Amino acid sequence: MLELFIDGKPVRAEKNETVLQAAVANGISIPYFCWHPRLSVPGNCRICLVEVEDEKGGNWTDIACNMPVAEGMRVLTDSDAVRAHRKAMLQLILLNHPVDCGICDKAGECALQDYHYEYSGLRSVSRDAKVRATKFHPLSERIVLDNERCILCSRCVRFTHEISKSHALGIQERGDHSLVRAVEDGRFDADPYSDNVIDLCPVGALLSRSFLYKARVWYLQATPSVCPGCERGCTVQIWHRKPEWHLSALDPRQNTAIARVTPLENPNVNGPWICNKGRDLARIFERPRAEQAMLTGVPTELSAATAAARRLVAAAKRPVALVSSWGSNEELAAFKAHLGGRFASFVKQDCRPAPGEPLEDDLLIRPDKNPNTAGARKLFGDAAPAFRNDTDLVLVWGEGFDFARLPRGAKTIVLDAYAHPDNARADVFLPVSIQTERQGHYTNFAGVVSAFEPCFPKRASVADAERLFVSLAAAVEALA
Amino acid sequence: MSGTKLLMTFPVTATSHTLADYRARGGYRALEKALNQMKPEEVTREVTASGVLGHGGAAFPVGRKWAVVKLNDGQPHYLCCNADEGEPGTFKDRWILEHDPHLLLESMLIASYALGVRHSFVYIRGEFDLPYRRLAGAVEEAYEAGYFGERILGTDFACDVVVYRGAGSYVCGEASGLITSIEGKKGYPRNRPPRLTVHGLYQRPTVVNNVETLANVAGIIARGADAYKKVGTPKSPGTQLVSISGHINRPGVYEVEYGYPLAKFLYEDCGGILGARALKALIPGGISTKVLTGAEAESLIYDHASFAKAGSSLGSGGMIVIAEGTCMVRLLQVMLRFYHHESCGQCTPCRDGMGWLHRIIDRIVAGEGVPEDIERMQAISRANDGTTICGMGDAAGYATVAILEKFRDEFDYWIAHKRSRCDGRLEVPGHA
Repeated sequence: MLELFIDGKPVRAEKNETVLQAAVANGISIPYFCWHPRLSVPGNCRICLVEVEDEKGGNWTDIACNMPVAEGMRVLTDSDAVRAHRKAMLQLILLNHPVDCGICDKAGECALQDYHYEYSGLRSVSRDAKVRATKFHPLSERIVLDNERCILCSRCVRFTHEISKSHALGIQERGDHSLVRAVEDGRFDADPYSDNVIDLCPVGALLSRSFLYKARVWYLQATPSVCPGCERGCTVQIWHRKPEWHLSALDPRQNTAIARVTPLENPNVNGPWICNKGRDLARIFERPRAEQAMLTGVPTELSAATAAARRLVAAAKRPVALVSSWGSNEELAAFKAHLGGRFASFVKQDCRPAPGEPLEDDLLIRPDKNPNTAGARKLFGDAAPAFRNDTDLVLVWGEGFDFARLPRGAKTIVLDAYAHPDNARADVFLPVSIQTERQGHYTNFAGVVSAFEPCFPKRASVADAERLFVSLAAAVEALA
Repeated sequence: MSGTKLLMTFPVTATSHTLADYRARGGYRALEKALNQMKPEEVTREVTASGVLGHGGAAFPVGRKWAVVKLNDGQPHYLCCNADEGEPGTFKDRWILEHDPHLLLESMLIASYALGVRHSFVYIRGEFDLPYRRLAGAVEEAYEAGYFGERILGTDFACDVVVYRGAGSYVCGEASGLITSIEGKKGYPRNRPPRLTVHGLYQRPTVVNNVETLANVAGIIARGADAYKKVGTPKSPGTQLVSISGHINRPGVYEVEYGYPLAKFLYEDCGGILGARALKALIPGGISTKVLTGAEAESLIYDHASFAKAGSSLGSGGMIVIAEGTCMVRLLQVMLRFYHHESCGQCTPCRDGMGWLHRIIDRIVAGEGVPEDIERMQAISRANDGTTICGMGDAAGYATVAILEKFRDEFDYWIAHKRSRCDGRLEVPGHA
């Protein structure tokens, strides 16, 4: 450790750190576009330039992101020279930028917008035409690129070379006609982490096709959640409409729709990244829901179905439960506490890899496509589900159960959140809530526990599994 | 004759570039001397003692650059010869590559020996055709004669050379851009620190020297540092190959001893200004050096100190003579078109600044300039001063500011009258 002074404030830093790292670690604000803590240092945006007080040779300036710290170094981040430099750089960066914030998805969370208001606020002094470049360039099936907005910070390029290793992006041409382009063999389409470049982009150049023009970010709020796409359990932010901006006209379904999913930085699990499956949580959570309780396919009230289930539990001699690897730790614990003694319980793999889905890689993606297998196995062991000849009741919690495996003559209670034809085959079908309607925790494959919060209110017609287990347990207590 | 000659010491003939002729001139004896009689450190010490300066433009002492590379530090070292020669107005390395390629190869072998280099590279400008063929031929001859490969001249010294052709980028002539280009990447210059002598080619210690710089090494070893220092001035030892072009009666490559009077060189050796016009301005060493007015130039001595005192530098030795009657606005337009075209586009000030400067000067020439354009161009140049990754942004800014300051009236005139104050052509009347 050594000590340096940033704006007169003593700051401790490791020997191999840069001034920018030391400043960021100590909450001192130095603007930057191209620098990113997880990527290499290209030093190309030049906005992080700072002044160093040097008694011997006079003050000198250089970029903070590439400046090694030194003992006793005195750095100025807000001197006249630095302020003038930032203004000049913002003039240059904005020279060919279209400044179309009014129709840009990034507006409201754009580094260029923020820095412009913080450090410059000046109109462009140029009277010459801006350089025209491609709009809506299809970089991949998921991403479009606005080359006029691009400030050529090369974060996206470095991401594909250093993190996702797809080497899919590069910069063509030179000078102010440089263009970010994808390699033409389609490998950017195949990069399962491609959407991270949208978050990395400090401006609105890289745009998600699925989020394009869907919402202004200031109408949205981010709810911390956990991606259920695999046992990594990446922490994510699920963006949805703020309650105070709820729509009563137009399409009110937008009020309970997932607008987009972004990573929630978490050094213990996923760092600042998530894979594209995590971006597409809407495809998981917005599947047609099961909202109607049923008795052998005949719709009924939730309370009547619960009572029927309670009777089945009370009557069974050798019941088996297949617990969901999508259940939260709280739900699993409730099942264990209230019904664990009644049922022979096994952990069920609710989801298997979809055809073509990447199974496993070195970065995040794990082979088990369920979020809480580890948490469930901790309570119920890792034995494979097994039925005996005299199994007379099977409680299936969650998706992915094959009715063909049902022992002959056994009754079934199915708890599921999504509509499925097999639901009608259950003797009792109970619709339950999904992750975005409740709070809870998942334990990932490495034992790290992450929390998710509710984004939307629970629908009235579906049950909360945790409470349902308490209700079913009444039958067990009656037996005892 | 422009002083003592160190490089252009033989008459150019149809065979003067061959190994046989080079040997007949005493070639590869310096290599023998270095390998058999000197330790690598002694070679570096001799080069340091000679005080030879880099001839690529920055005039950095060669010995100081070499001394950073630590021998026997357990990692490979690389030597790159910068034969990219892209600075407008410069064509002096071409003379060495065409007429004395073995001198370069011998010098590279000596430098490789001194620096512990097993693999050396020549990064040659892609547009160079004859120089490339001559150099490639010389490399072939040298391998056949056993000057490259294993056990050179029967010693344990081994060295290979790879000739790498550039693809026409100006910025690849910048040392770190050259290295990234050799690595097979886009020729983007790198940030310092780290210096290339610490983390250069493939992240190993690397020395990048200009062709002419390296070409002097063989002579320094053959004749000794003291003999080298006797040529030139105490602070600028040796000679400079000057490639002179523009409005001059005898353009071409001349070897000029440092300390030689510039006026004598221009008016006697080069036959004076074309059409016997007055000297309006002189670009002393490639367009990135600050322009000198005729009056400033004519009293100068050709060495680093006096040019620095006049606010310019010797640069790469690519001298451009500008006669009276030449329009400086159009000259700047040509220069800025070049800088705009060649900016690599990596860092903000140069990427956006060069295009902006180019658009402004185009607008002025189109008759749509406004008085504040001149301040704007100066401000853009200032924004490039010391803020870019490599020196190109700074150099373009300095060159622009020098022309704007020294010939401000011509710009004001064009903006006010929408036409050139001069005849508007680069040709001098009576010669076109």
